[in-house]
Amino acid sequence: MFSKKRIMLGITLLFLLLTVVGCQSKAENTDANGETKDSGEESGSDEVVTFSYFNGFGPGKDINTSETKLGKMFEEETGVNFDIENIVGDVNTKIGTMIASGEFPDVVQAQQATTAMIDAGAYVPLNDLIEEYAPNLKKLYGPYLEQMKSEDGNIYLIPFGADNGYIAPPNVVQGAFWIQRQVLKDMGYPNPKTLDDYFAILEEYYQKNPKIDGADTIGFTALTYDWRFFAFSNPAMHLAGYPNDGGVLVDMDTREATVYTDKEIQKRWLQKINEINAKGLFDRESFTQNYDEYLAKIASGRVLGFFDYQWQVSQALNNLATGGDPYKEYMAFPVVFDEDIKDQYMDPPAFVASPGLGITVSTTEEERVKIIKFMDHIAKEDVQKQIMWGLEGETYEVDENGRYYRTPEQIEKVADQKFREEFGFAYFEWNWPRGEGVFSDGNAWEPRNQPEVAALAYDETDNEFLEAYDLTVFTDLFAEPEERPWYPAWDTPIEQGSPAQIFQQQSDDLMKQSFPKIALASPEDFEAEWNAFVDQYRKLDYKEYEKVLTESVKKKYEMVKGK
Amino acid sequence: MATPSINSVKTTPVPVPETKFKKFMKQCSEQKALLFMTIPFVIWLIIFKYVPIWGWTMAFQDFKPARSFSEQEWVGFKHFQFLFTDERFLGVLRNTLAMSMINLVLGFVTAIGLAVLINEIANMGFKRIVQTISYMPHFLSWVVAASLVSVTLSADGIINEILATLGLADEPILFLGIGEMFWGILGAAETWKNVGWNAIIYLAAISMIDQEQYEAAKIDGASRLQRIRHITIPGMRSVIVILLIMNIGYILESGFEPQYLLGNPMNVQFSENIDVFVIKYGISMFNFSLATAAGIFKTVVSFVFLIAANSFAKKMGEGGLF
Amino acid sequence: MSKEKLRSGIGIRRTREDVIFDSINYSFMVLLCIVMLYPFINQFAVSINEANDSIKGGIYLLPREFTWNNYAFVFQEASVVQSIVISVLRTVVGTAVSLFCTAMVAYAIAQPNFMFKKSVTIIFVMTMYFNGGLIPTFLLMRDLQLIGTFWVYILPGIIGVFNLIVMRSFIEGLPISIFESAKIDGAGHFTMFFRIVLPLSLPVIATVALFVAVFQWNQWFDVFLYNSSNPTLTTLQYELMKILQNSNANMSATAASAFAGSGSESNSANMVSPTSIRATMTIVASVPIIMVYPFLQKYFVKGMTLGAVK
Repeated sequence: MFSKKRIMLGITLLFLLLTVVGCQSKAENTDANGETKDSGEESGSDEVVTFSYFNGFGPGKDINTSETKLGKMFEEETGVNFDIENIVGDVNTKIGTMIASGEFPDVVQAQQATTAMIDAGAYVPLNDLIEEYAPNLKKLYGPYLEQMKSEDGNIYLIPFGADNGYIAPPNVVQGAFWIQRQVLKDMGYPNPKTLDDYFAILEEYYQKNPKIDGADTIGFTALTYDWRFFAFSNPAMHLAGYPNDGGVLVDMDTREATVYTDKEIQKRWLQKINEINAKGLFDRESFTQNYDEYLAKIASGRVLGFFDYQWQVSQALNNLATGGDPYKEYMAFPVVFDEDIKDQYMDPPAFVASPGLGITVSTTEEERVKIIKFMDHIAKEDVQKQIMWGLEGETYEVDENGRYYRTPEQIEKVADQKFREEFGFAYFEWNWPRGEGVFSDGNAWEPRNQPEVAALAYDETDNEFLEAYDLTVFTDLFAEPEERPWYPAWDTPIEQGSPAQIFQQQSDDLMKQSFPKIALASPEDFEAEWNAFVDQYRKLDYKEYEKVLTESVKKKYEMVKGK
Repeated sequence: MATPSINSVKTTPVPVPETKFKKFMKQCSEQKALLFMTIPFVIWLIIFKYVPIWGWTMAFQDFKPARSFSEQEWVGFKHFQFLFTDERFLGVLRNTLAMSMINLVLGFVTAIGLAVLINEIANMGFKRIVQTISYMPHFLSWVVAASLVSVTLSADGIINEILATLGLADEPILFLGIGEMFWGILGAAETWKNVGWNAIIYLAAISMIDQEQYEAAKIDGASRLQRIRHITIPGMRSVIVILLIMNIGYILESGFEPQYLLGNPMNVQFSENIDVFVIKYGISMFNFSLATAAGIFKTVVSFVFLIAANSFAKKMGEGGLF
Repeated sequence: MSKEKLRSGIGIRRTREDVIFDSINYSFMVLLCIVMLYPFINQFAVSINEANDSIKGGIYLLPREFTWNNYAFVFQEASVVQSIVISVLRTVVGTAVSLFCTAMVAYAIAQPNFMFKKSVTIIFVMTMYFNGGLIPTFLLMRDLQLIGTFWVYILPGIIGVFNLIVMRSFIEGLPISIFESAKIDGAGHFTMFFRIVLPLSLPVIATVALFVAVFQWNQWFDVFLYNSSNPTLTTLQYELMKILQNSNANMSATAASAFAGSGSESNSANMVSPTSIRATMTIVASVPIIMVYPFLQKYFVKGMTLGAVK
């Protein structure tokens, strides 16, 4: 009896499941049909056209732009909206399959796979389209049109950020040596200029305060996890008075790009780390902690100092800013090796030509015109203001001098992600044609760079430190950037799989392997470890890499200066 | 029509093939149910698994996805050469082998052990609870699992605290900073994450054992350990052998997520395996050819090990895989 | 139930060995449960802890600042609900189809006198150790017109070779006498498959069902490759990946404003972070599938007695 029941049960179950499958297949079919009909209707009516936009940078929600306030306005003006798809996995994989199948979304921002897209002939040249249909785009990108051209003279990409005049950001958004405010306050607001100054301050405080809130004080920690390792290898460049050109220093006169990984400045930086390690000032976990642990450590308030780029530590800094103890926050300093070196931590006006958005060959001639007209609309100055500042009275105000500012309520409002999404800031601020710097009326392109906005946002403790150091805004400590038309050199397009690209990876691997040994060696072994590294490093094909970068730097320089 | 007779005359000298063929046809018709059960799936297999093998040609080209097959540039063994002549390849291969062997041995021993022990729990409710809980870590993503491992092993993590309380270490040990320990840590992490999951199949095997054997053994006065040794383990034997053979074929697969996530500058010489290497120098450089070359290499090695393991098992009198 | 009682009745004569064995075994199991359960308690604690606070780390068993915000953030997406439907569908359909097909082939290649026993086994086994690569597979799916359909989740995986071999070896382990007596009764292969093999193999079927179900439930890569631009076919795991990425965006927006100085308490209370979203995802995505196991357990916890079938 028992067995029969089981068998019957089993069979019934199977049939049941199979029926479900059957039903499901039907349901799916109608679903698919329903969909095609939908899109058919959409393209049939020529009122509003929907294009697809694949965004290889992410992150964001997949929406249609017309679901946002800004997107709706643009749609009314241009009759065009976009279905945005944001990448979720690996860009190379996704773009690889697109190229292989030859089917593309209408507009693609391919991030690191951009050169592969161009090589594959996936983008259409925009030169004539811009010339004919996009006067505003042409105006916005005017100074950079030459640089936007690829080898064959065609423009395939509209990059994000055409600099129109320089404006220093009021707050440090790039690399710097950071010190906890408590340290500064207790030691009478010192102003470290050199690396020796900097560590002397940390050391003195560390000796006096071996514990903070019951936990061991950490003198200086570093971020070395995965691809973020550059936060440990880049300081040498900054300490020597260069901005972040990546793995090379570019000579201001000859414009030769040279690697510095095996040079004296890198050795000097590592030697300093080696020295403070011997003194117990260097965080032992620097080379084993992951990103989360690093952030947690900084947020815990027991780290006295670190070098990093603001955007990498923003989570931790944010936590401290809302944590209730303003003295646990950090202040950034432009530290250099020697007094006579002029710091160059601030980004010079830069033009990054890739990645950008491109129109793919999957579009028709007619569609391309519609798309470029939409981009042209976006490029208008008053539309740029809408995208960056929003609407007057809603997200910003104008004072009697024509200066833009935001009330504290508005600052609060635009910080809310939900609002940013509904309004459209979250979707249009990046990955579309955009400018940077200052508008023709003198207001900052980006609200965060408007001194009025920053000043309103400073709290009591911020002001205490601004006064103590006699500053208006925190970046006043930093030197003005010098003109570097090629900046940033790391933007150089390097062919996928070329010797130069392989060198980059090899150099990175070797540094990751060797730097911990060099930094943590006992001081008497330092020289030997360093020399061993240099020997290995020089076996790599760095010359090829330097060659590729030098060529690109020179070319870019000539394009800008040659005009 | 005279042809049939001629034909039949002509074919008479070779009657053997015909009878063979006839025998074949007869067998087919006898086994038509079995053929009906397999042929559709063999066709499926060929379409879904064998057709894409044309992609292996990529390993011998500088593959560009935009070009058609005939436009690809053929480069011979260039990508294999890159792989095998890279200075670090030997180290990477060593790490791969070490980690996958540790995983193989640890994985088998712990999973079988756990299954046996769970089977010995008499209380049904507790047995179910243990089973369910033990397989839960399998559902953690490696990102989460690795961060928990990292926190546990950090300077102020629980392991160091225990060591300090017991007075075994003067100062915290940075376990992830000691390259030599990486394989062990990884093996332990894999075991923790997957032992319950891996035990499921052995539990299923145990449950196929006829309960009467246990009762008979009990009446004969066999002890617990004797019953485990003489009934439970032999009952799982064929499954163990099969799984072992299949897994030996995966000798060059040691995964990449945990290595990638737990790897750091101090242990990279022990943590980097073939998969991580291929991601760095292949996929992330848009070099699908290198990835394919590495895949072919792995397949060849797999087949060698698989066939060796299979024939060894057969020599030992086991069923073998095929 | 009665059987268990009977068995424990036999076990009344507990020897000293039994007592020692059991106490060691039970203590070990309790310890094991603690180690295995900890990550989930930890992730749950993080998921109901305020995101900004979680950045500090140090959350182990209990949240420090309780909130449901992270869950709200995940479930505010309409797409999540839609994706759950597809996830459940692909799990159920995928498992059912795969079980049926795998069991059938396994039955055939378990027959000792099947003429293609060896060759069929070999061509299946070989596929475990190679694949043509991403791009050829993608092009195949395109040529089969599976892209943008639900079936791209089901068809490529109708037979898992690992599962096939496992099933085969279980079926081979069934006593031959049963088949022989069935044959004498005039049963054909299909009858034997449905009436003898399937019911007798419930433990392995349950096992394979679990394997397939978990595989289907956890998949997100095929969504990424084939159906990423089709919002009606998105799955839970894929949506969660998206939300995780989004939490990064949210994070930097909030962080930027806080950095500009306006980071008031009210603002940060709405914040999410990758860490907290990841924890929330872990709970949301794994709890449903973990629940499957206890239901399947009854097929192999008990153990079976072949005698009952005879």
